[in-house]
Amino acid sequence: MPSPISPEIWPARDYSRVPYRLYHDAALYEEEQKKIFRGPVWFVLGFEAEVPNVGDYRATQIGDTPVVFSRNEDGTVRAFVNRCAHRGAEVVRYPSGNAKDFTCIYHAWCYKLDGDLVGVPFRRGANGAGGMPKEFNLKDHNLTKIRVRIWKGIVFGTYAAEGEVEDLETYLGPLMCEHVGDLMRKPIKILGYQRQRVAANWKLYHENIRDAYHGSLLHEFNRTFGMSRLTQVAGGYMDDKHRHSILFQYAGSDSDEVARAAYAENGVQRGDYMTLNDYGITRHFVENKLGISTRIISVFPNIFFHQIYNTLAMRQLRTLGPGEFELVWTLFGYEDDTPELTQHRLNQANMVGPAGLISMEDGEALEMVQRSTQPDTDKAGVVEMGGIGEIRSLDTRAQEVTIRGFWAYYSQLMGLEPAGAQR
Amino acid sequence: MNLELQAQVSAFVLRTAVLVDGDELETWLDCFHENSSYMVVPRENLEAGYGIGLMRCDSKAQLQDRVAVLRHASKFNPHWDRHILSGTAITSAPQDGVVSTSTAFMVVQTQLNGTSSLFCSGSYEDEIEVGAEPRLRKRLVVLDTFTVSNCLATPL
Ligand code: FES
Ligand SMILES: [Fe+2]
Repeated sequence: MPSPISPEIWPARDYSRVPYRLYHDAALYEEEQKKIFRGPVWFVLGFEAEVPNVGDYRATQIGDTPVVFSRNEDGTVRAFVNRCAHRGAEVVRYPSGNAKDFTCIYHAWCYKLDGDLVGVPFRRGANGAGGMPKEFNLKDHNLTKIRVRIWKGIVFGTYAAEGEVEDLETYLGPLMCEHVGDLMRKPIKILGYQRQRVAANWKLYHENIRDAYHGSLLHEFNRTFGMSRLTQVAGGYMDDKHRHSILFQYAGSDSDEVARAAYAENGVQRGDYMTLNDYGITRHFVENKLGISTRIISVFPNIFFHQIYNTLAMRQLRTLGPGEFELVWTLFGYEDDTPELTQHRLNQANMVGPAGLISMEDGEALEMVQRSTQPDTDKAGVVEMGGIGEIRSLDTRAQEVTIRGFWAYYSQLMGLEPAGAQR
Repeated sequence: MNLELQAQVSAFVLRTAVLVDGDELETWLDCFHENSSYMVVPRENLEAGYGIGLMRCDSKAQLQDRVAVLRHASKFNPHWDRHILSGTAITSAPQDGVVSTSTAFMVVQTQLNGTSSLFCSGSYEDEIEVGAEPRLRKRLVVLDTFTVSNCLATPL
């Protein structure tokens, strides 16, 4: 058995080296489930728009725990762990639907929409024999409840009692309130889902989302059509705790000529730039006041939002062990979208998801990292773009400081912060 | 049953799959009519009535762009695909020279290290213009395996 991971694991106190072991250690993964996914955080279950009517429910996963959220009789959204209080079977078996109550198929224990146990068949026995002991109290055997808060149509949840975690708005902070709030500024309409499974550690996806550097190097479509280039007005911002992050940019803030010369000089672009038959996919109708063309937002610990031109999505990360995660993309538009705008969003969805013209590459990049770091877990990756030392927001995409910010917050939560660490 | 029609659509659908497996995507494009669409839609969206696809090309021009981007601007896991097809069922009588068909498929994907696995299963819901040179008017790829392993780069 390897010794447990301790704060000494960090070769550098500014997180400019990331030990490969963090992507592979099974004991660490178990700790993360406890200290992060069941810890003092607000995670996201889904959208209110996914459960509009009483009895609507949706099964999802927080960390590796199966959970369900549903619309209760009183109109509120409730959530619970999807595990029967009797012998532990999954109570809800379909990914989504509408129910009057939740009845476990194993021994037919019946729960109300809010997760309260209301029925135990043969509780008094059969023909005067058997049955539950007299002291058995239904109230002691409800489904494990999750505390829910709705914010702008997003269903947040936590296992933490009040006082154990900040209130939701404080947790999100002004940066997330501004940008996620802007994406959720009016009622949304769900357009559909895209899902992928990546054979890599979940934290590699957090790093990837915060990796401002790779966007136009790995994703050639981005630099070809100017959706994202290092030569644009852009930035990577974090909240005070570096818990959440946003990468953003303004397409059209660089000229094609200057940008292309820069990439050629840096040895990136070796061939000709390609052209398209139909440039509809690269059209951006500016919808936000700030004029931002792309925003990639990370809300710790389990979701990401994106606005890439006019495609909008929330990506939910579900862990499947140290070496695999699932990403569920929920694409949305707004209720007041015209049919033409909906069509445009459906078309631009070609850019995202597991078949996305600017996102199919990420899964492969992360799987390669996972494979090749496995045999040498005492070595570490280098994170120095944008400078070392202080962790701060920068007005450029030629940086990886936002990745160091992730590790700074992660280490605090996990009790892995080295003495004198950058925060 | 019209054996001639059956033979024609079966051979045609098989040809489209063989062209994809052989990485002859430019020739595969020729199997599509000038007015045609190609969509890969996760089964969960279809059942819920959601329009989002994994690939959604409403015109042949967009499908050509998909192939061009794959050739010139995409990075993905290099691999070989093998489509294993069921028979092709004709699901509606010819109307104005177009028949609807349904063909189940499995795709076995082989990575560069020589390992193979079932990548996905699903069905082609096709509208085929029949004649001397059959053409796809519409191909809806229903993806039963709606969570994609790593990525879906090459068309199905
Ligand atoms: S396990 Fe659910 S009723 Fe027994
Ligand atoms: Fe990426």
